[in-house]
Amino acid sequence: MLARRVIGTVLLNILTWAVVLAIIFPLIWMMLTSIKPQTELFHIPPSFWPHEITFEHYRVLLEETPFLQYFRNSSILAVSTTAIVVTVGTLGAHSLVRFSYPGREKLALLVLFTYLLPSVVLIIPLYLLMVRAGIANTILSLVIAYTTFALPYALWLLRSFMQGIPPDLEAAALVDGASRLGAFVDVILPQALPGIISTALFTFILAWNEYLYALVLVSSDAARPLTTGVMNMLITSFNIEWSLLMAASVMMSLPLIVIFAFLQRYLTRGFAVGGVKG
Amino acid sequence: MASISERNGARQGEWTLALRYSALGMLLIAPAILVFCAVIVYPLVSTIHLSLFSIFTPTLQGHWVGLENYADLLSSSTFWNALRNNLIWTAGTLFVQVVAGVALALLLNNNNVVFRPLAQSLVLFPYFVSTVVAVLVWRWLFNDLYGILNHFMLQLGLIDMPINWLGQMPNAMISVILVGAWKYFPFVVIAVLARLQTIPPQLYEAATMDGAGPWGRFFDVTLPQLRGVLTVVILLRTVWDFKEFDLIYLLTGGGPINATQTLPLLVYQQAFGLNRMGMAAAYAVVMMAVMLVFMSLYLYRFRRGEEAA
Repeated sequence: MLARRVIGTVLLNILTWAVVLAIIFPLIWMMLTSIKPQTELFHIPPSFWPHEITFEHYRVLLEETPFLQYFRNSSILAVSTTAIVVTVGTLGAHSLVRFSYPGREKLALLVLFTYLLPSVVLIIPLYLLMVRAGIANTILSLVIAYTTFALPYALWLLRSFMQGIPPDLEAAALVDGASRLGAFVDVILPQALPGIISTALFTFILAWNEYLYALVLVSSDAARPLTTGVMNMLITSFNIEWSLLMAASVMMSLPLIVIFAFLQRYLTRGFAVGGVKG
Repeated sequence: MASISERNGARQGEWTLALRYSALGMLLIAPAILVFCAVIVYPLVSTIHLSLFSIFTPTLQGHWVGLENYADLLSSSTFWNALRNNLIWTAGTLFVQVVAGVALALLLNNNNVVFRPLAQSLVLFPYFVSTVVAVLVWRWLFNDLYGILNHFMLQLGLIDMPINWLGQMPNAMISVILVGAWKYFPFVVIAVLARLQTIPPQLYEAATMDGAGPWGRFFDVTLPQLRGVLTVVILLRTVWDFKEFDLIYLLTGGGPINATQTLPLLVYQQAFGLNRMGMAAAYAVVMMAVMLVFMSLYLYRFRRGEEAA
């Protein structure tokens, strides 16, 4: 009986970890490819571990391609989108949860509706708008475009988080003579902070990874973010240098790796709250 | 008399307070509404308006054509082909996501798995990685000469010749479906796992006492408990998979010969490849109409859930 249980546990572990490793194998392969010398890629049969480790591709990437420019653009873009969306979203979500006025419920439903809206439906008028306003091909145009998906998302997530804060806390502060805004700043904001961090991380990742708007709205290297920039490196190069592209992929995932290493609990919490409370 | 007027005064005070509160509430939501109107509501209405014109993208000059775009697209094979592909892609990838997601969630729900938190966060990674990164890595894995995938399968004796994963049908559609499933199934895993952890163990104990085996327990206890979360997950993922652009566009570009072209790709191609902006808007509107079916199901379900809560 005991022996059977031990064998069962061992088999379960082998199966589970085999599946998990298979799932992240593409990402392991990405890292391994990025540190192999170019010649080693074209060996048949291919070797799993690099025979020789090189960081040459990273040097080429940083020194001989516009990668750093793209990285800077992406950082500015993702940080400004996050800052705007989280500020507007926090005020809005607080209003949706704690105040009553006509049309509030319909508004919440509208937020949910836009949260599901496809980008391609909005992209043509947005493109026309940016061209007419003369801000096409700028990071600003992307920040504006990104609010179309980031704001509904943030509002939705923050609303769900704030619904979890007990109303008594605010009521107690009001009895003690605080104003509504005072109570918001002193009581609600600290309580909502984990939710705000979660939302900020999700928004940042969404903006960092966005591709379609960047493809349509920006065509100059000065404003191009990483997603379209790196793809451009793939298309314009004469023969595809996979090790270079894998190095670019690793570098591009750096913020994500940092978030995963240090702030993962906020991501998991966001999952539990956002839209999937069955 | 005095007490009545005093009470009236108090009530009036309450009233003005309530009014002031709702004014403050509206003030707080105002920035969000402003942004909504400017970048979502206006473009949405504008798309419908534009779909009634014929517009040349480079010059943005156009003229009114009424419903002609719609008549054209509904009678073109391009549209029906894209709609069919869109449905195959959505159904295919959703099916793999749900089956694989539930299976892995069941595995990860087991307390005996060592380093369980680590396994969970590793599984989450594909979901958050940029689609661009995912596509680059998979295109390298799929590479017909030096790709590790063909090499593995040759060595295991599964295939005799390297497979052309993205360049021919039905391989291209299968590849796109599988990469989509790989990227998005962690969403199912996390949602299902969270629910699994709240199922009371007593239910399993009772089922075991009634003589249910592992399969019996799964079908009689687990699956009914998962119904709610699976409904929501499936509806959400249907909407999101249906509108997927990046993954398909970057993997196959809709090829070979439009065999993996879906409606979002068609909208992009019409607007910025063929320079037919009005036509593209019409495609977008029709796509929106198809999606509205799933979206309203989700909204309906959400409203019911909100009223119950």
